[in-house]
Amino acid sequence: MIRKLGLTVTSLLGLAAATGFAADKTYTFGVIAKSNNNPVFQAAKTGAEDEAAKLSKEKGVTIKIDWRTPNEEDPQKQADAVEQLVNAGANGIAISASDANKLTDAIDKAVDSGVPVVMFDSDAPKSKRLAIFGTDDIDCGQKVMSELAKEMGGKGVIAILAGNQNAPNLQKRVQGVKDEAKKYPDIKILDSYYHKETPQDAAAKVEQVMQAHPEITGWAMVGGWPLFTDNAIKFAPGTVKVVAVDALPAELGYLRSGHVQVLLAQQVYEWGSKSVDMLYDKVADNKNPPSTFVKGELIPITKDNVDEFAKNWEKWLPKK
Amino acid sequence: MALPSKFSFSFSKFPEGGLLLAIVVLGILLAVFGGSVQLPKFQNNAQGKPERVFETKPDGQKVPAFETVNKFFNPRTLIQIAKDTSFFAIMAVGMTVVIITAGIDLSVGATYALASVCGALVLTQYGSSGGIGAVILGVLVTIGVGVLCGFVNGAMITAFNVHPFIITLGTMAIYRGIAFVQTNGQSIGGFPEAFRNFVRQEFNGLSLVPLIVMIVVMIIGGIFLSKMAIGRKVYAIGGNETASRYSGIRVGSVKVLVYAISGLTAGIAAVLSLGYYGAGSSGDGSGYELNVIAAAVVGGASLVGGKGTALGALLGAVILQMISNGLVILNIPQNYSQIVIGLVVIAAVLFDQFNAWLANRRLLAKTSRIKKEVIESSDTPVSITPQTK
Repeated sequence: MIRKLGLTVTSLLGLAAATGFAADKTYTFGVIAKSNNNPVFQAAKTGAEDEAAKLSKEKGVTIKIDWRTPNEEDPQKQADAVEQLVNAGANGIAISASDANKLTDAIDKAVDSGVPVVMFDSDAPKSKRLAIFGTDDIDCGQKVMSELAKEMGGKGVIAILAGNQNAPNLQKRVQGVKDEAKKYPDIKILDSYYHKETPQDAAAKVEQVMQAHPEITGWAMVGGWPLFTDNAIKFAPGTVKVVAVDALPAELGYLRSGHVQVLLAQQVYEWGSKSVDMLYDKVADNKNPPSTFVKGELIPITKDNVDEFAKNWEKWLPKK
Repeated sequence: MALPSKFSFSFSKFPEGGLLLAIVVLGILLAVFGGSVQLPKFQNNAQGKPERVFETKPDGQKVPAFETVNKFFNPRTLIQIAKDTSFFAIMAVGMTVVIITAGIDLSVGATYALASVCGALVLTQYGSSGGIGAVILGVLVTIGVGVLCGFVNGAMITAFNVHPFIITLGTMAIYRGIAFVQTNGQSIGGFPEAFRNFVRQEFNGLSLVPLIVMIVVMIIGGIFLSKMAIGRKVYAIGGNETASRYSGIRVGSVKVLVYAISGLTAGIAAVLSLGYYGAGSSGDGSGYELNVIAAAVVGGASLVGGKGTALGALLGAVILQMISNGLVILNIPQNYSQIVIGLVVIAAVLFDQFNAWLANRRLLAKTSRIKKEVIESSDTPVSITPQTK
C-alpha cells in the first residue's frame, strides 16, 4: 500500500515536473528579412508571429519572434544581426539574404555555435543553412508565360520585363518564360528589357518600349516593379495583356482596372510561418526539412479573386 | 574660437568626461536590466579552434553544455559592440577632422562603397588562394581609392570655392554611381583566405582586429589634431577661416588634406568590411554618412567648426552603437531605435550648448568680478572686454 502510494506520489511529482518543464520551455527565433520598407516582408513578419502563437498554444511552449530586419537593405547589418542574435541566445534564425556573399560566414558561425539557420525568399546557397523556402524561379517564369499565352489566345507579340541584368533569380525567370514560349509557335518574343528596379525606371521602360513597338500585345513581367506606382500603364485596359509576378497592395488596382490580367502571388505570409515551422521542428524534435529546397507555390490572382485576396493584406500588414 | 589649450587632466577641461560617464551609465543600465542568457559553452580543441562542450547525463546521453551569462556584460557581447562600432568610429574620426574646419563630408558612405568595390575587384582576381602580395595590393587599392575620393572632394571644394555640402552631395551620387557601373549592382566576393583569416582571426573566440584598428586610428587622429602643428591649423580654420588666412595658414591645402583624411578613414573601414564580411557591392554603406556625422556630433564636434576630438568621435560612435545593440538586449522592438538615436543626437547637442553657455556665464561673472576689483583698487577707470569662448 505504502509502496503504491509512494509510486503514485512519485509519478504525480514527475508529471508536475514534466508539465512545469514544458510550460517553462521558451524558444526565441530571430527573423531577418531584407528591409522593413517592403510590404512583402511585413507579411512574412505577421506569418512568423502568427505561427509562433499557434505553435506555442498547440505544443504548450512559448515561442518568441525577434524581428531584426534593417530598415533599408543592408547585408552588413543583416550579418551583424545574426551575430547579435547568437549572442542574445536565440534558438534559431530565419533570413532572407540581401547579399549571400556577405552572410555566408555569419550563417556558418551561427550554425557552428549550435543555432540552426533557415532561409526564405533569397538563399545563401554556399552556407551551412538547413533549407530555403522560396520560389522556384524557372517554374515562376514558365507560369508567367503559360498564363499570358492563355490570356492572348496563344498568339501575338510579347516583351519580357526583367529587372537588374545580373540578378541570378531574374535571369532564371526570364529563361523560364523563354522555355515555355517554345510551346506556342504563334507567340513571338520581341526582347527582354532591363532597368534599375525602381518603379519609376520600370514604368518609363515600359512606356519607351511601347512607343517604339506598338505591335506588342502582351507583357511578361517577371517582377511587378512598374505596378508599384499609380498610373504606370498608359495603354487602354485590355488592349495589351499583362501577367506579372507578386501581388502587392499597390498592384491590385491594375487588376481591378483591367490593365493587368493575372498576378502571380508569392507565398509571402508563408515565408515567415514556414520558416518558424522548420526551425521549431529542428530545435524541438531535431527533424530536418524534407529537402534543402522547399518550394513555395505561386497563387494566380485575377479580377475574380482580387477582392478576396486583398483581405489578406488587411490581416498581414500592421494596423495603422 | 576654441583652440584647445594644453591638455590638463581637470574634469572640466576633459571634454570627453561626459561621454565616458554616459557610456558607464548606459553600461550599468544594460547590465542590470538586460538580464541573463544561456549560451552554449565552448572550449579550444587541440588545433586551437573553438568547439562545443558536451556533458554526459547520468543515463549516458551526451548533451551540449550551457552557461548562464549576463546578456550585456559578457566578453562576446562587448566585443560584438566594439566590432559593430569600429566601421562607424573609424569614419567618424575622419569626419570629425572635416567638421572641425566647419566642413562636412556627405560622400563618406559612397567613398566606403567605391573603395570596397575597387578593392574587391582586385582581391577577387586572385581568388581564395591569393598570397600576401595580392592582399597588400588589394588593401593598398582600397585605401588608395578612399584617399583619392577625399582628395577630389577637397580639391573641388577649394578650387571652386563651393560649400562642401554641395560638392560632397554631388560626389556622393558620383562615387556610388561609379561603383554601380563597375559592378552592375552585383556583390563581389571570393577573396584570398589569408586576407579574410587575418581580419576575422579570433583570440579566445573574440574578433579583436576591427577593435584594434579602431583604437589605432583614434590614437593617430588624436596625435594629429592635438600634438601636431597641422592639427592646430585645422582648429584655427574652423575657428575663423579669414583670420587663419591672414595669419599665413594655407587654408586650401589644409582643406584638401582634411577631406583626404576623411577618404582615408573610409578606405580603412572598407578594408575591414571586405575582410570581415567577405564581399563588396555598390550598395555598401548606404546612409552611413548620417550615422558617421551623428557619431561625430554626439562626440562633441561642432558643425560651426573649431571643436571636436578623435576620442570624442570614437566615444560618440560607441554610445550610438550601445543604444542600438542595447535595444536588442532589452528586447525593445528595433523600430524604436531610430527614434531613440535621433533623440540622443539632439540631446547631446543641447547638452553641449548648455555646457558652453554655463562656461560663458562663469567667464562673464569672473571678468566682471575682476573688473569690479580693478575699479575699486584704482582711481583711473579701466575697461576690460569679456572674452567669449
